[in-house]
Amino acid sequence: MSEMVSISVDGQKFQAKKGALLLPTLLEHGIMVPHFCYHEALGPDGNCRMCMVSIEGQKRPQIACDTPIKKDMVVSTKNESINDVKRKILELELLSHPVDCPICDQAGECSLQDYYMAFGLNESRRPKEEKKHKNKKLDIGKNIILDQERCVLCARCTRFTQEITKTNELAIIGRGNDARVSTLPNQGMQTPYAMNVIDLCPVGALTSKDFRFKQRVWFMHSAKSVCHGCAKGCNIFIDHNQEKYKSDTIFRYRPRINKEVNGHFICDEGRLSYKEENSNRLEQAYAHNKLISKENAIAYLLHALNTLHPLLIVSPSLSLEELTVIQLLSKHFKLEVHAYVQGYEDESFEDEWLRSKDRSANLASIKKLDIKTSEKSLKAALECTGLIINFNHFSFLNPSPHEQAMLLHKKEIHFSSHNFENCRHKKLLYPIASFSEHEGSLINEGGILQKYEAGLCNERENILSLVHELIATPSTAQGVWDAHLKEVFGFEYEAIGDEGRKI
Amino acid sequence: MSFSFSAHNEAKFAALLPRYPHPKSLVLPCLWMAQYQEGYISQEAMAYIAHKLDVPMAHLYGVATFYTMFHLEPIAKYHIQVCKTLSCELCGKDDILKAIEEETGLKAGESNALFKVSQVECLGACGGAPMLQLNEEYHENLSVQSTKALLQGLKS
Amino acid sequence: MIQKIVSKNFNIKDSHKLEVAKANGAYESIDKAFKLKPVDLEVEISKSGLRGKGGGGASAGAKWCLVSVTNEKSYLVVNADESEPGTFKDRQILEHDPHLLIEGIILTCYAIHAHDAYIYIRGEYVAFAKRLEEAIAEAYKDGIIGQNVKDFGYRVDITVHRGAGAYICGEKSALIESLEGNRGHPRLKPHEPSPEYFFGKPTLVNNVETIATVPFIIKEGADAYRAFGTEKSPGTLLFGLSGHINNPGIYEMAFGESMQAFIDTVGGGVKNGKKLKAVIPGGASTPVLTAKEVETARLDYESMREVGSALGTGGMIVMDEDTCMVSALKNLLSFYHHESCGQCTPCREGTAWVDGIVENILSHHSKLDDIDLLSDISKTMNGKTICVFAPAVAMVIDGFISRFKEEFEAYILQSKESVNV
Repeated sequence: MSEMVSISVDGQKFQAKKGALLLPTLLEHGIMVPHFCYHEALGPDGNCRMCMVSIEGQKRPQIACDTPIKKDMVVSTKNESINDVKRKILELELLSHPVDCPICDQAGECSLQDYYMAFGLNESRRPKEEKKHKNKKLDIGKNIILDQERCVLCARCTRFTQEITKTNELAIIGRGNDARVSTLPNQGMQTPYAMNVIDLCPVGALTSKDFRFKQRVWFMHSAKSVCHGCAKGCNIFIDHNQEKYKSDTIFRYRPRINKEVNGHFICDEGRLSYKEENSNRLEQAYAHNKLISKENAIAYLLHALNTLHPLLIVSPSLSLEELTVIQLLSKHFKLEVHAYVQGYEDESFEDEWLRSKDRSANLASIKKLDIKTSEKSLKAALECTGLIINFNHFSFLNPSPHEQAMLLHKKEIHFSSHNFENCRHKKLLYPIASFSEHEGSLINEGGILQKYEAGLCNERENILSLVHELIATPSTAQGVWDAHLKEVFGFEYEAIGDEGRKI
Repeated sequence: MSFSFSAHNEAKFAALLPRYPHPKSLVLPCLWMAQYQEGYISQEAMAYIAHKLDVPMAHLYGVATFYTMFHLEPIAKYHIQVCKTLSCELCGKDDILKAIEEETGLKAGESNALFKVSQVECLGACGGAPMLQLNEEYHENLSVQSTKALLQGLKS
Repeated sequence: MIQKIVSKNFNIKDSHKLEVAKANGAYESIDKAFKLKPVDLEVEISKSGLRGKGGGGASAGAKWCLVSVTNEKSYLVVNADESEPGTFKDRQILEHDPHLLIEGIILTCYAIHAHDAYIYIRGEYVAFAKRLEEAIAEAYKDGIIGQNVKDFGYRVDITVHRGAGAYICGEKSALIESLEGNRGHPRLKPHEPSPEYFFGKPTLVNNVETIATVPFIIKEGADAYRAFGTEKSPGTLLFGLSGHINNPGIYEMAFGESMQAFIDTVGGGVKNGKKLKAVIPGGASTPVLTAKEVETARLDYESMREVGSALGTGGMIVMDEDTCMVSALKNLLSFYHHESCGQCTPCREGTAWVDGIVENILSHHSKLDDIDLLSDISKTMNGKTICVFAPAVAMVIDGFISRFKEEFEAYILQSKESVNV
């Protein structure tokens, strides 16, 4: 029944799906209607009463989250009486709300603050001594801090654990204004998706212990990116800031909505993988445990490529563009390229939702480019060479005994984003940018091609500029697409939208 | 330290189950049975009921804390619940509370091993105001004397 | 003044026992009913103008129709959660004539094509739940209920389901939530007239007294019921008297009687020879009336509305001239504060706030603005919540403030003086 009908909102006419809920329809059209309990992933709950609108023909204001669209409906979201209603209901939400803003991490992305500035701006009509007190800063596990006083009882978090993860760790207990969100006694959050409640919570009742007091949100910039933790390719925002005298640092990942890939959520492990991304970065080039200048390193690299017939190994988490230029490099010097995916497989990580057993980010591109992936073919190639050039492949940067055995008697050149101490002793260890520092694209296990933006502005050399220096391939992702990938896929780089493109 | 229904409660449960379209209806009856069995509703009892009805523990916890008559901790032997709503207040509930304090030394909200004194909302006995509920029994048309006599009888 | 439709057996010794009940007419309507079609019963109930006796006064026939018209498997739930302050009438039926209720349940089930009935009884009514269980056991044994009601080939099973102390579970959708094993959170109201749903199946929720009235209507006919009361409020109600009254109790009367006459004659007048000051006419959630208003008030739904109040459950709380109206309001607001389910914002926060404000007025820590503040909060609580709990609180506040404003002002002004001192 997806009949489109005409409705009028604040004097503006537009078409809307008959029977659809009014609130999401208004939000989709950019009409701001305040709300707490409604969430796109959870649906409405009708308890906050913030989304009240006037509907012609109805003597009482109606909650937009429970109103189905009818033909010729006339809606007013801002008139004197509905503005008064909104203000009064907001006042009630704030009645016992602690004035924690100066110490609350939610400040700057808090619905209460936003609504108060938009249409509240009233003095409190109740003495602060009479505010109802509940428990604050409860560590409920999985990096989540619960502050029951700040909670507006919208039930998003409880509905998340009931309906989405079905792990039921959170419940509303008690009654009336004594009601509060709680975990079970002596138990905490357990689901590997627990930290999503932090994003769901519209106020500072559920906050990240990991992020606590680290950074004010208005100082951070958000880059549209893709998590590299596994082949699901969940969309994220990289929130980062460059403080004085420091490098541009990532403070957190947040989910980015992509209906085809991850919906509204990401897993906790992916969310916290920013720490890995940020820390232990390689800044200098090393050869045999001594610092080496970049010029000398490149000189040696060229020498190796020209004379030592090395085997190129690529991480299956490199971007499509990086893989493309490395493949061109291999063709130029008549060398083989291998990916070796075993090191990135982890069956224990897999679940039925957003966690894939393939812990690499771009295996699908590897396959598309016909780069070999098996251990058998790698071992065969290793027999014909005494030198490997490793482009950020984790299994060879931090080899297990199995991989160490494969590399026995081989010389190693490593291009790494992170500092692996044992690699400093090798022939060459050269620093490159990590994914958060450059743009690129990936294909996830569902065959969706997704772009990610350059996030941090730390000036680190990335693979594209490195290979450009060697064989003058394009030095930007756009360039690689224009020269090569456009033909492969049949569309332009710009045509990959914000939500990716199924191929 | 785990809980399971007594034979009596198990039989009651079995008799009730087919009378409802869904086992979840039995949450309240099961909580009552657990409370009668142990004198209060323990965490273990809630976990047992959750498992028995295939309902999340968090759900049980939310339900048990919603209703005034469920106790999640043991309480005194005699729970004196004095009705405090309008008709009883108009008819002298404060005198009754005073009498209770004189006999037990406890004010409303206080408790010792023998008595717990609570004020509760309208018990549906307004025609017999002032009144109290002692554990499960209604005692209506109270006077200061009858209240004291009732408590003295319990103390002995 | 006193009538004997549902209360006729109340004063008979052992009236709750089956043989005594039978000797006094129990279950006589069953034979007649099962010779009719279910829809005939529904029509008779509609004709009788029977209105729900749980406080709302909605047409019983219309409610029945919403369920019977679905032709789906349906349920009957009897609302015995009686928790409205001042109301103690349903317990009389449970205690003194449970078989009348069972009889009404059988008839109602037949009319709405239901076979399973649940009596949701408030947890505190332990003794009455026991009475019900005993009567139901007797009825099962006697073949009155069970697989084959009185050999008419129709199954009716009745289960007593105890609540556990939550006034809000008297709200029909919260009651069903509780019956489904959840917290008693009222549900969002549908946009069109619709039955309740118990685990997805259409369900009729009716008050104890409403169901207990059905046997009379079926046996004696709609016109016989209409012989009592007024045109828009036909029949009788178990009215209650409590508070400062000489003869507190439950008295069945036809609708339309004079409130003053009721208080003076049946009620025996105000206790201790005092003068009447105010009466809450129909359980706490109805606006209070001044003694002057009581003089001309009539006890039916329309007249009560005209005088700015509501008939509600008919449980009158009588207050004499020495009553402090501010304390009385505090008492009620404290009740509502305790009983709010907490689901939606205006009620959860509003009930706590207004309770605090009147507490401040009582303890002389307030200002004159607080009276307007109370009215303002009451406006926010009215018409913006999931259920009618908050609107009831709003109307209670409005009732007290509009009629006894000087008492509130006096308390506040007293506090001003003590501040100046």
